[in-house]
Amino acid sequence: MKQLMSHRWMLSVAVVAVALALPHLFKSPYYIHLMTLALIWVVLAQGQNLTQGFVGYVSIAQAGFMGIGAYISTLLTMKLGVSVWAMLVIAPLLTGVMAIVAGYPSLRVKGHYFSIVTLAYNMVIFIVLMTFSALTGGEAGIPDVPRPSELTIGGHVFSFEGRSNLNFYALALSAAVLATTCCAFVLHSRVGRVMLAIRQNEDLAEAMGVVTSRYKLFAFVMSSILAGLAGSLYAHYIGFLNPEPFGVDQSLNIILAVILGGSGTLSGPIVGAVSVTFLPELLRFADSFRLITYGLILVVATIFLPKGLVPLMATLWRRLRASQPMVAEHKPTSKA
Amino acid sequence: MNELLQQILNGLAIGSVYTLVALGLTVVFGILGIAHFAHGSLAMFGGYLTFVFSTSMGLSFFASIALAMPVGAVMGMLIERLAYRPVRDAPHINAFIIALGLTMMLEGGNLLLFGADQVIIQTPYQQVFDFGGIFVAQLRLVVIVTAVSLVAAVTWLLLKTKTGKSVRAVAQNRHAAVLMGVNVNFVSSVVFAISSALGVAAGALIGALLALAPGVGESFAVKGFAVLILGGLGSLPGAILGGLVLGVSESLAAGFLSSAYKDVISFLIMILVLLVMPQGLMGKK
Amino acid sequence: MKLKTPLTWAALALSAALMPVAHAADEVLVIGVNDALTGGGAVYGLPQANAVQMAADEINAAGGIKAGAINYKLKVITSDDKANPTEATNSVRKLIDRDNVKYLLGFCCSGSTSAVASFIAKEDAVMLVGNAAERAITAQGIPNVFRTRPPADFTGAAAGTFVAQKGARNVAVIGALEVGFYTQYVDAFEKELNKAGGKIIAKEAFGLRDRDMTPQLTKIRGLKPDAILVVGYVEPAAFVYRQAVELGLNVPRYGFTSGSEEQFLKVVTSAQMEGVWDLRPTELTVEALGPQAKAYDANYRKKFNQSPTPSSPYAYDQVYVLKNAIERAGSANDAKKVADAVRTLPIPKEAVMKYIANDGNAMFDQNGQAYTSNGAFQWQKGKWVFVSELPSDNKAYSQFLRSIRK
Repeated sequence: MKQLMSHRWMLSVAVVAVALALPHLFKSPYYIHLMTLALIWVVLAQGQNLTQGFVGYVSIAQAGFMGIGAYISTLLTMKLGVSVWAMLVIAPLLTGVMAIVAGYPSLRVKGHYFSIVTLAYNMVIFIVLMTFSALTGGEAGIPDVPRPSELTIGGHVFSFEGRSNLNFYALALSAAVLATTCCAFVLHSRVGRVMLAIRQNEDLAEAMGVVTSRYKLFAFVMSSILAGLAGSLYAHYIGFLNPEPFGVDQSLNIILAVILGGSGTLSGPIVGAVSVTFLPELLRFADSFRLITYGLILVVATIFLPKGLVPLMATLWRRLRASQPMVAEHKPTSKA
Repeated sequence: MNELLQQILNGLAIGSVYTLVALGLTVVFGILGIAHFAHGSLAMFGGYLTFVFSTSMGLSFFASIALAMPVGAVMGMLIERLAYRPVRDAPHINAFIIALGLTMMLEGGNLLLFGADQVIIQTPYQQVFDFGGIFVAQLRLVVIVTAVSLVAAVTWLLLKTKTGKSVRAVAQNRHAAVLMGVNVNFVSSVVFAISSALGVAAGALIGALLALAPGVGESFAVKGFAVLILGGLGSLPGAILGGLVLGVSESLAAGFLSSAYKDVISFLIMILVLLVMPQGLMGKK
Repeated sequence: MKLKTPLTWAALALSAALMPVAHAADEVLVIGVNDALTGGGAVYGLPQANAVQMAADEINAAGGIKAGAINYKLKVITSDDKANPTEATNSVRKLIDRDNVKYLLGFCCSGSTSAVASFIAKEDAVMLVGNAAERAITAQGIPNVFRTRPPADFTGAAAGTFVAQKGARNVAVIGALEVGFYTQYVDAFEKELNKAGGKIIAKEAFGLRDRDMTPQLTKIRGLKPDAILVVGYVEPAAFVYRQAVELGLNVPRYGFTSGSEEQFLKVVTSAQMEGVWDLRPTELTVEALGPQAKAYDANYRKKFNQSPTPSSPYAYDQVYVLKNAIERAGSANDAKKVADAVRTLPIPKEAVMKYIANDGNAMFDQNGQAYTSNGAFQWQKGKWVFVSELPSDNKAYSQFLRSIRK
C-alpha cells in the first residue's frame, strides 16, 4: 500500500510538472486559452465527482452553482470594490452556503428523484439569472469583469492581464491541484470511506447507524464550493459574464466528463475535463454530430465502461505488467 | 371573472399536452422503473416526422400522426432493446444517465435531420369561437379532444386487454409475473411502444399548437417529470390530473403574477411537492 | 520508384501551364464572419453570413480590393457563435489566433457581440457589427468597433412619436423585456408617448423560447388598451400576433421585430397579420430603398433560393465599408490604419441600406455608429409595405450616445 502511495505521489508531481511546462511547449495563445479553460473544468469535474462518484448521487446542478459563484464574485468585485483575490476565496464559500440551503431539503429524496430536483434547481437558477436583469444584466450580460490585480513577489511583478496569460494559467493550475488534493484527502479519509459505502448500498449504511444525510450534505456542499471556485475563476478570466454557460446543457457536459474519465477516481475527472474541453476542437464537426457523439459516448460508456476510462486504463496497465515476469513484486495477487 | 375563465381555458390546452407527455413517462417509470428523460426529444422527433408527412406527402394532420405513431413505437422499442435493457439490472442511476445520453443523441439527430429553425405544423383548424367574451381557438379544442382520446385509449388498453394485464402484473411484482409465465422482455417492448406512440402524438400536437425547435423537447420532458411528481409517480390518474393542474397553474401564474417567471412556477411546484409531499397528489408510496 | 518520375514531370508541366492564369500580384485577404449560424439567433445571423459571402463574391468578380500596390481577393471564413457569449469569445479567438484574421464582420446578436467588444480593443483587428442592437456596444467608444445598424432606442423614440400621432393613448407593451436593447427601445418609446399625453398601461414579458403568450395577452386584454406594442425576436413575436387574434384582441398592433414575410407566414396566416405595423430602421423593403436594394434582393434570391431578411444588408454593407476603407488606407495589414479610414469614410455607393450622413459627410459618427433612417412598415395583403418615414434626429442621438460614455 505504501509503495502504491509513493508511486502515486511521484506520478502526480510529474503530471503537475508537465502541466506547468505545456504552455512553453505549445506557445499558441489559443491553446493556452483552451488549457486554462480545461483546468477550470478540472475544478468543476472534481466537485461533481464528489457527489456523483463518491456518494453516487448524480447532481444536474453543478453548472448552476458555477453560475452562482461567477455572479457573486463579479457583482461583489464590480459593485462593492472587493478585490478579486478575496473573492476567489469568498465566492466559493458563499456558493457553499447557498448549497446548504438548497441541499438540506433535497437530499431527503433519493436516486433519480434527487437528480430531477437538482435539474429543476439548475433551471430555476438559469431563469433567475436571465430574468433578474437589473442585477445580473440578463442575457446581455456584464462586460469588463476585472482580472485579479497584479502581485509583486520579491521584486517581480506578476500581471494577470491579457489573453492567454501564463500567470493566470498558473493560477488555474493551482486551483486544479488544490481541488484534486482536497478530493484526495476526502477520499482517503474516514469520511470518504463512508461516502463510498453509501454509494454501494445506502440502506445498508443507514442500517449500520450512519447518518447518511450528513455525509451527503457534506459532499453536496463541498462540490458546490468547488463549482463556485470554478465560476469565480471563469468570470474573472473571460472578462464577460452572462448566464449562457450555466445552463442544464453544461451540467450534462460535466456529468459526461466525470463518467468518461471515471467516476470515483481522482484522475478520472482530470481526464474527463480535458477531454471534454478539447474534444470539440479535435472533432471540428457541425453541432449536430457533436451532440450525437457525446450522447453515444455517454450511452456506450455507461453500458460497457461504467467505471470510466481511467479505471479501464488502470486495469489494462495492470494486465500489461502482469504479463511481464521480471516485474515480480507487482503481480496482482490479492485486491489492492 | 371573464379573464379568470379565459386563463383557465388557455391553460387546459397546454395542460392536456403535459398530460400526454406525462402519460408516456409514467408508463415507463411506473412499470419499468426507468426515468426515461429522452422522451421529450423522442416526442420532438415524432412531431418533426408528422410535419414531414403532412408537407411532403400531403397527408392530413391526423393521417400524418397516425402514420408517425407506429414509427415512433418502433423507435421506442429499439431504444429499449439497445440502450436500456443492458442496464436493466444495474443501479437505477445508470438508466438515467443513459436517458441523458439518449437525449443528446436524439437532439443531435433532430438537428441533423430537420435543421435548427422552428417548425410549425399547419392545420386546417383556424377558427376562433367567441363564447360571450371568452375566446376559444378551434385548434386548442382539437388538441384537448385528441389528448383525451389517446389517454382513454391507453387506459382501456391497460385495463381491459390481456396484454394490459401482463403489463400491470409486471408493474406490481416483476418476479411473480415471471413465475406466472409473463414474458418480461415482451412487456418492456410493449410499454416502450405505447410510451413512444403517445410521445409522437404529443410532439405533433406541440408542433401544431406551438413550435418544434431544438431544446423544446427537453423542457417538455422536465415539465413531464414535474407532472409525474405532482400527480404521483406511476399513477395514471395522477398524470392526468397533474398535467391539467400544471397547465392551468402556469397560465394563472403568468396571467396574475408575473409572466417573466412563468417557467419557474413549474419547477418550484416540483421542488415543493418533492420535499413536502413526495408521493404526489394521487400516488401510492 | 520508376513511376514517380513521369508523374513529377507531368505535375511540373501542368503547373507551368497554369502559371500565366494566376495573377502573380493577387493576394488573399481572409476576413472572418462571426455570427449565430445555428440556434435562436440564426434567423438574424445566417442571412448576414450569406450576405457577406455574396458581397465578397461580387467584389472578387469585379477585380478585388486594391490596397496600394497589392490586389487582394477576399476569402470569407464563417464561425458560429450560436448567439452565445462564451462561444463568441472562443470563436473570435480562433479567428484571430488560429486563422490570422484582422477583419471581423457579422455580429447579429447583442449578448455575444458585447462579449467580443469587451476584449477587442486590445486586439489588432477591426470589428464591424451588424444586427446587434444593444446600445452599449458603440456607447463605449471603442476605437476599432463600428456598427452599421442603429441602436434600438434611436428607433424607439421615433416609433413613440408615430404611435402617439396615430391616436393611441393607452398602449400595452409585450416584449422580450429581459433583453437590454428591447427595454431601451420601449423606454425611448415611452418617453415620446408621454410627451404626447399617452401612457404605457402594461409591460408583459416573454422569452426567446416562449411560444404560448396567451396568459400575457389575456391579461392585457383585460386592461382594455387602445394599441399593443410587440418588441422581440421574430419567432415568438409571430405567435403573439397570432394569439392576439385568437383571443379577440382587436386593437392596432405595432411591433419592432424585423422579420421577413416568410418567417412570419410559417406561424401566422396573412389574414391574421393584416394591418400589423413594424416600426424599425428602414431596412430592406424593396419599395423603401433604391435600385441597389432591388439588385441585392434579386441577387440574394438567386444565390440562396430564399428572400433576404430585412436586416441582412447590414452585413452586406460592412464588406463594402471594409473594401473602401482598405483602399483609402492603402493597406490591408495595418488594422489601426484601416480603422482610422473607416472613421472618416463617406457612405459607400454600393451600400444597400439608406444611411444618414454624420458630420463631415462621414458614415460613422464619433462613436463608430452609423444611422439608417427609420420607417413605418405595414403588413398589407401578405407583404410588408413601406408607408412612411419616421422622422429621427441622428445628430441629437449621436450627442446623447457620446454623453453616456463612461
